[in-house]
Amino acid sequence: MRGGQPLVEVVRLGLVSYQEALRLQQVYVNRHRSGPAHALLLCEHPPVYTTGIRHKPYPEPLLDQLRLLGADVARANRGGLITFHGPGQLVCYPVLNLCSFKKSVRWYVDQLEQTVIALCSRFAIRATTSPHTGVWVGDNKICAIGIHCGRYITSHGLALNCCTDLSWFDHIVPCGIEGKGVTSLSAELRRHASVEEVVPHLLHAFTQQFNCQLTEAAQDGGESLTPVTSAGTSALTNLKDN
Amino acid sequence: TSGVLVQPQQPGAECPEDSGDYCGLQETNSPFVFLSVALKFTDKHEWVQVEGGVGIVGISNYAQEALGDVVYCGLPEVGQRLEQMDEFGALESVKAASELYSPLTGEVTEINTELAENPGLVNKDCYAKGWIIKMTIEKPEELDGLMDQAAYDKFVTSLE
Repeated sequence: MRGGQPLVEVVRLGLVSYQEALRLQQVYVNRHRSGPAHALLLCEHPPVYTTGIRHKPYPEPLLDQLRLLGADVARANRGGLITFHGPGQLVCYPVLNLCSFKKSVRWYVDQLEQTVIALCSRFAIRATTSPHTGVWVGDNKICAIGIHCGRYITSHGLALNCCTDLSWFDHIVPCGIEGKGVTSLSAELRRHASVEEVVPHLLHAFTQQFNCQLTEAAQDGGESLTPVTSAGTSALTNLKDN
Repeated sequence: TSGVLVQPQQPGAECPEDSGDYCGLQETNSPFVFLSVALKFTDKHEWVQVEGGVGIVGISNYAQEALGDVVYCGLPEVGQRLEQMDEFGALESVKAASELYSPLTGEVTEINTELAENPGLVNKDCYAKGWIIKMTIEKPEELDGLMDQAAYDKFVTSLE
């Protein structure tokens, strides 16, 4: 039995390409070789469509059509079908060692869903799970989830629409689910909700759901870690100016 | 004789009443089936059964429960050579792709093509019809390093 809460380092990447985020995730995955080194990568991507290990439904001609729209296209070793990432969408990649939590991928994905549901409720939005993995508001998906797990180390994660331009999703069947739509926090709240506004709420919900503590690297990129309380917005506003 | 040789059942079929302890192919995913050789286990919850000099590989009941319903199996090519602990494929469940690791060093001789149409076999019948690959056994001594049933059961208990 583990005493104490696992420590998770928050890493704010800003706007990074999907490929760069993959490279950075690998760096954080590799850190786990020398002991638990949990990290929570936060970022936004320029427009990109990504597929998972089930890439056969998406042949090159289809991907070329998507490229013509001005988006990048990438293949990932995650679960889940095709999805879109773009500005206004909060992308979160927890690189955790499940040995410090619970060694079940099913449990982990469930926790991610519950984290987002809790976050939505902080905005008075009623979100739910469904037989399809992800987080839904009615028949519209507000957050996509797709992860990879190897030797209990997780990568990839979740993508929450804050103020994403949802028309990008018109060109795909999101996550392969016909007859359902997509939505965003802004669409549900009928006001602009930026990624910056949403991040502290995600971090708070994450610490509650995963029963962990967050920390952030020092601004100068040095070795010292500044503890971050899990108390919520007020404690995190001083970290907004990265 | 008191024992009854149970014919392999269709997944989800009713267990015949008089099969007693020997029915191991149904929902319980019990490894108490008629096997010529006992299963060996890795700490990543794969099992290996040696049959005619070939190793049959699958994942344990503990593993399939932790994954959730498998919807896709990403398998290697026949002929692919694997070192022990090499990644050889992935199982997808609940939008999660989980890596599979080779329990032995050898060459893939067969993959379970049933899993393309019926990936759920990995959950429903993980010790029999849900087998994943078959491979040659280049280094039989590697089998000695794997856990037998009793050791694996103890290992699983320690995880919980």
